[in-house]
Amino acid sequence: MHVLMIHQAFPAQFGRLALELQRRYGWKCTFLVESLSNCPSPAPEMLTELELHPLQLPPEFREQPLTPWPRSFGRSLTLCEAVYNGVQSLPDCRPDLVVAHGPDGMPLLFLPELLECPLVSYCEYYFAREHCDLSYRVDLPPVEPAEFFPRTINAIALVNLAAGIQGYSPTRWQRDSFPARFHPRIEVHFDGIDTELYQRRSGPRRIAGRDIPDEMQIVTFVARGLESMRGFDIFMRVAQRVARERPNVLFAVAGSDRTFYGWDQISVGTPHFKQWVLDHGDFDLSRFLFLGHIEPTELAALLSLSDVHLYLTVPFVLSWSLFNALSCGCVVIGSDVAPVREVIEPGVNGLVEPLFDIDRLTEATLKVLDDPAEFAPLAAAGRRTIEERYSLEVAIPELKDYFERMANRARPKE
Amino acid sequence: LLCIEPTFPGRLGGVADWLVTHRGYHCWFYAAHIEPRERWPASIDRGLDVIQFSVGGVARQPTVRWQQQLERGLCYAYGCWEVLDKRRPAPLDLVLGRSAGLGSSLFAPVVQPRIPLVNFCDYYIRPRTGDLTAEIGPGAPPAYYQWRRAANAMDLLDLENGVHAWTPTAWQRSQYPDEYQQEFLVLPDGIDPLPCTERPVRNRQFAGRTIPDGMRVISFVASSLDRLRGFDRFVALCADLLRQRRDMICIAVGDPLVQHPLDTEFYQQDYARQLLERTPLADSERFWMPGQVPRSALAQLFALSDLHVYPSRPYPVSRSLLEAMSAGCVVLAADEAPVHEVLTHGETGLLLPADATEAWVSSANAVLDDPISHRPLGESAAQSIREKFSRDACLPLLADKFSQLASDEAHCNWTSRAAEGR
Repeated sequence: MHVLMIHQAFPAQFGRLALELQRRYGWKCTFLVESLSNCPSPAPEMLTELELHPLQLPPEFREQPLTPWPRSFGRSLTLCEAVYNGVQSLPDCRPDLVVAHGPDGMPLLFLPELLECPLVSYCEYYFAREHCDLSYRVDLPPVEPAEFFPRTINAIALVNLAAGIQGYSPTRWQRDSFPARFHPRIEVHFDGIDTELYQRRSGPRRIAGRDIPDEMQIVTFVARGLESMRGFDIFMRVAQRVARERPNVLFAVAGSDRTFYGWDQISVGTPHFKQWVLDHGDFDLSRFLFLGHIEPTELAALLSLSDVHLYLTVPFVLSWSLFNALSCGCVVIGSDVAPVREVIEPGVNGLVEPLFDIDRLTEATLKVLDDPAEFAPLAAAGRRTIEERYSLEVAIPELKDYFERMANRARPKE
Repeated sequence: LLCIEPTFPGRLGGVADWLVTHRGYHCWFYAAHIEPRERWPASIDRGLDVIQFSVGGVARQPTVRWQQQLERGLCYAYGCWEVLDKRRPAPLDLVLGRSAGLGSSLFAPVVQPRIPLVNFCDYYIRPRTGDLTAEIGPGAPPAYYQWRRAANAMDLLDLENGVHAWTPTAWQRSQYPDEYQQEFLVLPDGIDPLPCTERPVRNRQFAGRTIPDGMRVISFVASSLDRLRGFDRFVALCADLLRQRRDMICIAVGDPLVQHPLDTEFYQQDYARQLLERTPLADSERFWMPGQVPRSALAQLFALSDLHVYPSRPYPVSRSLLEAMSAGCVVLAADEAPVHEVLTHGETGLLLPADATEAWVSSANAVLDDPISHRPLGESAAQSIREKFSRDACLPLLADKFSQLASDEAHCNWTSRAAEGR
């Protein structure tokens, strides 16, 4: 079985998956990628064992990180053209299946012109028209694209799905974000969490070179970017309140200063949402450790020290950090939104509180800090949830089976 | 009623006019482009108000790269939204939009989120079938198919915009992805039939020229003389007939510049001139091309025509076909799926496979040799159009649907064509 995997960044959702498919089942996985990611960075064995080919994108593609909403579809088409050209440049590449994903939308659109094999898209998310994702933070200054963006941004997903392309989503809620008419063609298969790496480990109590005394409790917050969609500002308000109540708590924050989703820059008028948040609160920054972006091994070590992990997302694509935290046996307090509830059953394997309710979030955090033993069963159940439903051991065989089924399907007639 | 279409009167102008005139609607018609006054319907300023919106960005450019097609449409949608947001027409019961690939109604719900929205859907471009794919496809650069695969983005956004989808024919519906087809109301928007008058045999004139007595007339009408509507096939047929007959005049009405962007090779070019340079006619004096003509002249032409030829490629049937049939023309058409819903071979016209060149010539000769005995085909066609495709036949059901939507959107059985609550 030969799978061609396409993604602008490597390894993203596919690197580990491909490695496992090659090692466990002897499959061949070839990649078409534009750049190496640092979130997460590729493991050395991925670079040595997997066949990577370059995806050439025009320079202007990179120069427009914040594309005006009317041009988003054109940008996606540029990516689709690049993928077409990339596959064309591999005349000996005759895959049994193509699996693709990209931050600029599904890049498979033109491949039926080149390849006869089935095509599968990673259906990460379909933006909602209101009360969700980008439009959920009604507490922040409104931005002009809020009304128009959701009515236009899904165009690339729609042309792909309408062309008969099959897909899979990592969670049921993400699948359900797509129009119901396409649900029969989108299965739910999670990427897989490395439970060996992400497990609670004993070791020196040290974060970013700083020794952490035994009596110091750690509250963690992790996001790819410290931005409003992931509730960084809400976390800071909760942390501020907790800090006032408990002198022995340190807040460890991992994530870059960038905004990856949404319009924080437009909304607050400054380049960095993190700085805007810090400028608008009375925070005792000596109680915070801002770690920036950290690599998986550091993240596993950080989460191993966590007494409470806050995951305060709006209804949107679930972050790997939530799964990583659960896998590391953290007591997780999540925002009470549908995608989080798909994973966290409140009082069983974690806690949820309303995103905008600072009082309740604070209260819940304090309760966990005050009586860790009471909440330890939740942490253990969280770990079991990952092992039983989201681990590589569960996910890889499912995805292997799914890919095999898809590869054996005839492509729909056009 | 709020109608939104890139051009007024466009396609929806006639519908709006009928609703104003026959059902007492008040209609605001928002459009970016306004056609000349002689094309305006009668109810203008008598219940039908036209409001022009302007467009910005790439929509101001005469042409855009195919990758910018959606961006262009979004500029139309945004331009419409700006004016709507300022004027906020009220009271409003229903929005009726037609994007025609330009998406003008896409943002109407931003201003009027709770008003039912109906979208008139024309044509879903399939990547490898339909329209001119058989002609352009072989040897076409990859960009041709890439464009076709991306071209439906606006239609899909419209369909996901909470609309009630409406399309005139089952064939048009069948071109849309399976996932959407069940949601369509299939109902012709209808035409205003032309009079089916007695056919003059003497003192015949058209476009300022006299048609000698005894001359047969073979006609072709399209918005532009292009391959999509089979102008090349018409010329090939006429070339054979002109060689064989001296008693025949060919009249082709339509803009010589190709108007439809689906013909990527000849768009905005004088295809007719290029074609006729390549296809010398035995007697070019008997091949008339008067350009576009007003509706009154069209009625005159159809009354003169002994045979109307409709050799269109697979594409939604043109209004000119319906009008020719309504005027009682004997129609010889290419046997393509879209035509089947309108014309029945041997009853309301004649159908032949598009590539059966000899059969076209002999069929045309048979009609031209004996027009009288073929008249029943034209008369049946005229009756069929009045009964099934006239506005008076089609739009009462649409008006009923609109009333149901406006009064209780949730309980409207939108897709059913059975008369309800009348």
